[in-house]
Amino acid sequence: MPNQEKSKEKDSKLTTRRDFLRGAGNYTVASLSGAAMLLSNPKPAKANVTWAEHFQKNYRLMTEEEKQEAIERLETRYSEEYGQKVTVDGTPSIDGVLFGYALNIQKCIGCRRCVKACVAENNQSRGDEQQIEWIRVLRMEKGNFSAEDRDQHGYPESFGVQVGGNAYKPAGVVLEGQHYYEPDQVPEKDAFYFPMQCMQCEKPPCVKVCPVRTTYRDPDGIVVVDYNWCIGCRMCIGACPYWARRFNWGEPNLPKEELNPHTHYLGNRPRMKGVVEKCTYCVQRTRKGRWTACVEVCPVGARKFGNLLDPNSEIRKVLAKKKVFRLRADLNTYPKFFYFMD
Amino acid sequence: MMRFTQFVVDFLRAGFTGGILYWCWMLFLAFFIMLWGYGEYVQIANGMIVTNLNDQVSWGFYLANFVFMVGVAAAAVTVVFPAYVYKHKELHRIVILGEMLAIAAVVMCLLFVIAHMGRPDRLWHILPVIGIFNWPHAMLTWDVIVLSGYLLLNIIGGFYYLYKKYAGTEVNKTFYLTIVYIAIVWALSIHTVTAFLINTMPARPMWFHSVMPIKFITTAFAAGPSLIIIVFLLVRRFTPMKIADEAFHLLSQIVVWCLGIALFLTMSEIVTELYPATEHSLGLQYLMFGHNGLNSLVPYFWTALTLMVVSFVLLLIPRLRKNLTLLPFICAAAFIGIWIEKGMGLMLPGVIPTPIGEFAEYTPSHIELMVVGGVWAIGFFLLTFMLKGAVAVLLGEVSYQPRAGKQPVSSEQGEATI
Amino acid sequence: MMTSYRNYLSIMGLCLLAILSIKPALGAELPQNSECFESRDGMSQVNVHDTATGVVNVKCSPDTGGVLWWGDPFEGTIPMGDMEVEADYWHEEAVVKPREPQIDRNKMLTICGMACHNGVYVPIPYNKDPRPLKMHLDIIPDAMNLKHGKGSVWCLDCHHLVDRTKLIDNFGYSVSFNQPQKLCGKCHGQVYRSWRDGIHGKRIGMWDKGGKKRWWVCTECHNPHDVEQGDRNSGYAQLAPEPAPNLPKGMTNADHERMHHGPSKSESLH
Repeated sequence: MPNQEKSKEKDSKLTTRRDFLRGAGNYTVASLSGAAMLLSNPKPAKANVTWAEHFQKNYRLMTEEEKQEAIERLETRYSEEYGQKVTVDGTPSIDGVLFGYALNIQKCIGCRRCVKACVAENNQSRGDEQQIEWIRVLRMEKGNFSAEDRDQHGYPESFGVQVGGNAYKPAGVVLEGQHYYEPDQVPEKDAFYFPMQCMQCEKPPCVKVCPVRTTYRDPDGIVVVDYNWCIGCRMCIGACPYWARRFNWGEPNLPKEELNPHTHYLGNRPRMKGVVEKCTYCVQRTRKGRWTACVEVCPVGARKFGNLLDPNSEIRKVLAKKKVFRLRADLNTYPKFFYFMD
Repeated sequence: MMRFTQFVVDFLRAGFTGGILYWCWMLFLAFFIMLWGYGEYVQIANGMIVTNLNDQVSWGFYLANFVFMVGVAAAAVTVVFPAYVYKHKELHRIVILGEMLAIAAVVMCLLFVIAHMGRPDRLWHILPVIGIFNWPHAMLTWDVIVLSGYLLLNIIGGFYYLYKKYAGTEVNKTFYLTIVYIAIVWALSIHTVTAFLINTMPARPMWFHSVMPIKFITTAFAAGPSLIIIVFLLVRRFTPMKIADEAFHLLSQIVVWCLGIALFLTMSEIVTELYPATEHSLGLQYLMFGHNGLNSLVPYFWTALTLMVVSFVLLLIPRLRKNLTLLPFICAAAFIGIWIEKGMGLMLPGVIPTPIGEFAEYTPSHIELMVVGGVWAIGFFLLTFMLKGAVAVLLGEVSYQPRAGKQPVSSEQGEATI
Repeated sequence: MMTSYRNYLSIMGLCLLAILSIKPALGAELPQNSECFESRDGMSQVNVHDTATGVVNVKCSPDTGGVLWWGDPFEGTIPMGDMEVEADYWHEEAVVKPREPQIDRNKMLTICGMACHNGVYVPIPYNKDPRPLKMHLDIIPDAMNLKHGKGSVWCLDCHHLVDRTKLIDNFGYSVSFNQPQKLCGKCHGQVYRSWRDGIHGKRIGMWDKGGKKRWWVCTECHNPHDVEQGDRNSGYAQLAPEPAPNLPKGMTNADHERMHHGPSKSESLH
C-alpha cells in the first residue's frame, strides 16, 4: 500500500502540490472508496489518475479556480495517456442562446453517417467489445395494404368471429423500427428512416431521477453529465423515454490515433468505465459557434441546428415554416429536438 | 459500557456456537460468500462488462433481487404488527426473530444495490453533506433514506430489546414502542418507495401504473411470511425456542390473503394491458408469450404463475394450511413463484423492449450469478448467526454475569442447536 | 488545383499535356482513405490531408468512402461573392466550394472550353428537338439518359448555347457552374427560397449569427441529369450505408425484427 502510493505520487508529478494535499485531506472521508478505487484500477496506464481527481467536487459546484484546476489535471492526464496534446475546454453556456435541433425525416436516407461522425467527434468507445453510439437510426417500413390480407388475420384469431382485419403491413408504425438494417444501398424503396438521439428535453426525466445531480441542464438547454461525479446507478437510463443514454460497461476502447484531441469537460473528453454518457449537441463545438458533427456530415442536409432564441436562425425558420412534431409529446418532456417534413 | 461490550462479545459467541450441522451450513454459505468476493472483485476490476447487462437491458438480475428483498425486509412487519397492534401473544414472543430477518434482508438489499452500481467507489457522492443528495427530486434518494432508516430502526429496536433482556433490566416501553410503531409504518414505506422508484418512469410502460405499490406490498407480505414460516419452523426444529402453532396459523393466513390479492392484481394488470393490447403492453406480451421467437422468459412466467396459483389454492384449504409438515413446502412454492414473478419477471419486461422498441434477450452472466448467490449466502449467514444469538438471549442462555465475565454457552446447548 | 480553373489560359499547355498522359479518373476506385466524397459519389470528392491546426481536414469512412467528419469545413472554398440572392447572409461570411474543379476533374472544362466551346466554333443547333449527342457520349455519362423534367427540358435549357463551360439564366446570360442555384431556382422557386433560408440543403461551419458558413449548392447533392433516380423519383442518389450497430450482447441476430415486418402469416400476437 505505501509503495503504491509513492509510485502514484511520482506518476502525477505534474499535479500541483495543492491538489495532492486537497486529495489527502479527503482521505479520511472516503478512504474506503479510495481503497475500492485502487482495486478497480489495476492497469498501470491508468495509475496516473490523481487522487485529487477522485475527490473533486461536482463540476457545477466548483469555483472557477477549481474548474480550472480540474481541467488542467485532465489535460495533463489525457495528454500523457494518448501521447498527444489534448485540450479540455470548460466554455460555459453562451448568453442568449438556447440550442435547438430539427431533423427532416423526409430527407433522411438512413446512411448512418451521422452515427459514425458522432463517434469520430465525441470519442466514444468503439470495437466489438464495447461499441457506444449516441445516435440510432430506425428503419420504418412504409407498409402496404393487400387484397389477400383483407379478409384474413383479424383478431381475435381462431375464435370464429372476426373483429378487425389485418390488410396491412406495419405502415410506419412509430417505434416499431428495425435497428440493424443492412441493405447495399439506402434509401430503400419501401422504407423511411428515423434517427433518434438525446432530445435535450426542457424537462428532462433523466435529470430528475439522478440521485447525485451529476447530470443537469445547462442554461443553453444542453443536458450534460459530469463523468467524474456519476455513480453509475443508471436511473437516468431507465427514465429516458428516448433511449438516448449509454453506459460504459467496461473501460472504453479509444485508440490513440482515433482520439479527437479537442474536448470539453462536459462533452467529448475520454470517459472512464462505469459512467453514463449521452449526446451533448457537441458542446465542445457548439459553444464555440461550430455546427455539430452530425449536422455537418449529413449528406442530404436533413439536420438543422441553431439558436432557438434567435428569430432569424435556421432552426426558428424551420419552426415557423414547416410542420414540426416532437417525439412523445405526451410525456411533457418538451424536447428541443424537432422532426419535420417538407 | 462494560456491560454493552460484554453483550456484543457474548452475542457473537452465542451466534457462532453450534454443532456439526451448523458448521457445515456455515461453511456451505462461506463458499458462496467467497464466490461473491471473487465476483465483486472481477466486476470492480473490469467494469460491469463482465455482466450480461447492456444498453438495451441495463437493469437486470441485481435490481430484480433488490426489489424482491426489499419486500422480504418489509415483511417483518407481518410479525411485528400483529404482535404489538393486536397483542398477539405467540407472535410477540418471537417478534425479535422477525426483526433479525429484516436486518439480514436490508443488508442484502444494500449489497445488491452496490453490485448494481457502475462506480461503487463513488458511493460517497450520494451521502448527504459530503456528497450531493438530490432530495426530494430523485426517488433513489428516498429509497436511500427509507432503507437505511429501516435498517437502523431494526438494529436499534431489535438489539435494544435483546440487550435489555441480556442485562436483565426493564425495557423502556416508551422508547421501545415508539421505535416499534415507527418501524411498522416505515416497513410499508420501504416497499412503497421501491415501487415508486420504478413506477414513476413513463419511459417504461410496463411499470408505469399505480397498482405497483400495493402489488409490491401484497407480494411482499406473501413471500416474506412464507420465508418467515420456513425460518421459524427451522428455529423450532433446531433450537429449544418454543414457537406455538398459532403463530404459524396466523402467518399462513397472512400469506394466503396477500397471495390472493396479489393474484387478483396480477390478473387486473393482465386484462388491462392485453385487452386493448397497445404498444405499451409489449413488455407484458413478451413476458407471457415471447416475441417473434424470443421467448426465454415465457417458461419462467408460467412456472411462477403456476406456483403462485397452486400454493394459493392449497393454502385456502384449512386442513392443508394447518398441516405444519406440508406448510413449508407450500410456502417455498409461493416464495419461489413470487421471487420469479417479482424479480426477473418484473424487471426484464420493464426494460424489454427498450423505449424505442428494440428487443434483446438477457440472461445473467456467471459473475452475476456468483454475486447474487453470494449475497443470498451473506443474508443467510447473517440470519443464522443473528437468530442463534437472539434465541440464546431470549431463552436466557446468555445473560449478563457481572463478575464472571465470559460465560460460554454450555456444550449441551451447542448440541441442541443447529 | 483551386486556381487552375481560373487561370486556365495560362496553364492550358500543362493541362493539355496532362490529359494526354493521365487517364481520367472519374469515379475510379478510391485509394484507401486518401480521398472520399461529400454527398455525390464521384462528383464531390475531397482529398484527405493535414491542416495547419494539426487535425486532418476530413475523416473518411473506411466502409463507404463517404466523408465522416469535418476538421476544416472551409477548405477549398471561395466567397459566395456576387450571388444575387436576397438571403440574410449579408451579415455573414458565406462561402461555397466551387463546382468547376469537381467537374473539371477530367480536364473537360479546361480543354473543351478552349478548343471547341469557347463561343465561336460550336455549331448552333437549328431547333430544340432533343437528339442524341454527336460527340462526347463517353465523357458525359448521363448524356443519353436525361432524367429531368420528364422530357420537357433539354440540354440547352440549362447549358449555354455556345459556351458549354457555362450555364444560363432566364435571359440567356451565362451562369457559372459554381452557382447552379441561379439556374435551378428558375423552376424550383420554393426549394430555392427554402435553400436561402437554410432549411433546404446544407451548410457547414459556424452556426452562430455572423459566423462563417459554407453553403452547399444544388449540384453538390443532386445530379441534374438524373434527378429522378428511376422509380424512386427522388432527387438524391442511393448510397451505401455505414455498418449497422453491434447487436446487443447475447444476441446472435436480429431476425425477430424482420419477422415482425414480414408477411402477415408469420405475425403472431400483434
